[in-house]
Amino acid sequence: MWYRIARKLSETYSRRFARAVRESYAEDEAYAPTPLGRCALALFLGLLFLLPLILGPYPMYVLSLTAIAALGALGLHLLVGGAGLISLGQAAFLGIGAYTASHLSGPLAPLGVLAGGLLAALVGLVLGLPSLRIKGVYLAIATLAFQFLAILVFNNWESFTGGIRGRNLAPAEILGHPLDSPGALWYLILAFTVPLFFYGKRLLSTRAGRAWLALRDNELSAQVAGVELVPTKLSAFLLSAFYAGVAGGLLANLYRTVTPEHFLFGVSVQYLAMVIVGGAGTVLGAVLGAAFVVLVPELLNTLVGALGPAYAGALAALRNVVFGTLILAFLILEPRGLVGLWSRVRDYLRTWPLPY
Amino acid sequence: MGLAPILEVRDLHLRFKGVAALSGVGFTVEPGSFFAIIGPNGAGKTSLLNVLSGLYRPQSGEVRFLGRDLLPLPPPRRTRLGLGRTFQNLELFRGMTVLENVKLGAERAGPYPLLWPRADQEARVRARAEEVLEYLDLAPYRHVPAGLLPYGLQKRVEVARALAGSPRLLLLDEPMAGLAVEERQDLARYLQDARREWGVTLLWVEHDLRAVMELSERVLVLSYGQVLYHGDPEGARRDPRVQDAYLGGGA
Repeated sequence: MWYRIARKLSETYSRRFARAVRESYAEDEAYAPTPLGRCALALFLGLLFLLPLILGPYPMYVLSLTAIAALGALGLHLLVGGAGLISLGQAAFLGIGAYTASHLSGPLAPLGVLAGGLLAALVGLVLGLPSLRIKGVYLAIATLAFQFLAILVFNNWESFTGGIRGRNLAPAEILGHPLDSPGALWYLILAFTVPLFFYGKRLLSTRAGRAWLALRDNELSAQVAGVELVPTKLSAFLLSAFYAGVAGGLLANLYRTVTPEHFLFGVSVQYLAMVIVGGAGTVLGAVLGAAFVVLVPELLNTLVGALGPAYAGALAALRNVVFGTLILAFLILEPRGLVGLWSRVRDYLRTWPLPY
Repeated sequence: MGLAPILEVRDLHLRFKGVAALSGVGFTVEPGSFFAIIGPNGAGKTSLLNVLSGLYRPQSGEVRFLGRDLLPLPPPRRTRLGLGRTFQNLELFRGMTVLENVKLGAERAGPYPLLWPRADQEARVRARAEEVLEYLDLAPYRHVPAGLLPYGLQKRVEVARALAGSPRLLLLDEPMAGLAVEERQDLARYLQDARREWGVTLLWVEHDLRAVMELSERVLVLSYGQVLYHGDPEGARRDPRVQDAYLGGGA
């Protein structure tokens, strides 16, 4: 009797969550395949919109950082997780976007962010050219060289970047309404990130995504199957740089100042860490990875703050150790990243209490 | 006589440094036929396929496909013209699902700009992929990553990927190798059906001589990069030079 009740419950429950066999394009490519999923998506988007009314300026600031990082990480995802091309220069593209946006601030801010993305995309296209000839580690080193070159330019091209002192921005304005608090700026961030996220997800599941994945898995047979090498690789670079450029532009408007130290090599590595911790070439991976890399140090900071200033020095050093250990633990214990962890939890819930 | 040949190869020469992989190979394939290439190991069979699909560049010779000169075209362009290909050692996209593999193959007919997703095109590609999956009995595996499937199924996925592009000519490199008897029978049936229903011309390299003799209509025998025999399968069995190449001089 108990068995039958449990069985019944489990069946209805899992049907609600399970994605049953999908046989058509429409079912396949829906952003949320089940009714419950659609509700959740709508609720989530609504919540994103209402957040500034609920949270104070500091949490909004951290959330903005996370959203921007997620955007940059998604760009890198398309390149690394999608096309399998490793780039260590994401911070440089962020910088290009930020400096461009710093020249078009105030009422022009949305335009500046967009221009930052486009300029970064243009540079990304050029950086993509070596990827047609070199692969793997060698490509990573080429992008590393680009990263250092970019820092050199940021430091020395005074007329465009303001040198080491950097540039300051007026608060972004929309229709004469200044976005001078993180809560207000959040809407500008949403206006860019939400569409770009939907676009990225769609790309990964259509022709572009297939072509990138095919190149990653097997370059030879991809070409025989009809994938053109040059446009496919270059488009991945272009798009990745565009996402980073937009993220950089938003970052400039959030910080209201742009200096070279925001775009050092370490930042590039952080973005790569987001991709690895997030796992698999999916949009969710980018968000989770970015949240992890931004929020964990933030949490550790709070912890350090709570314990009092006496320990601050020792704990600040320890913070990096803890963060590093967490990333290592991910690489060893869950190579599929947070997405892998999430899908295991979901499978567990879906089939609970009778997994077989 | 009647139809113009779908594939014409004339006087093909391919050398790797000192090794002559193909020397003066020439043959024609009629549309709709089942054409086999056989020969001992190292005869140049796979090299020939690689020249046809554009992975090797021959030093001299001519290849015409549907009346067009094929040699200057890169592999993706050849695929778009209607030249499908499977590989001897599986070259699937292992991290992609079966469906994605087949969809990638199905795209060749109407590709749209990469960064501009088109729902109608995607729906068409999906429908075509489903048709091929259904046809090759692969539908239950559509969402499984291709690398996780057993060997026989992976081979079938490769055939599906190639067939999904509705090729005019399908090059198969040892499709039967490593398959169990039942799987061979199934594959032979799929190939025959594809030929009949979709009008695909098949050109296969195969070691399983029984399969070649029973299924093919024309046979090309290669040995050390040269054509030993070109004609119907019965003749190949009786040709003394072919017997020599396969069984050694004394037989």
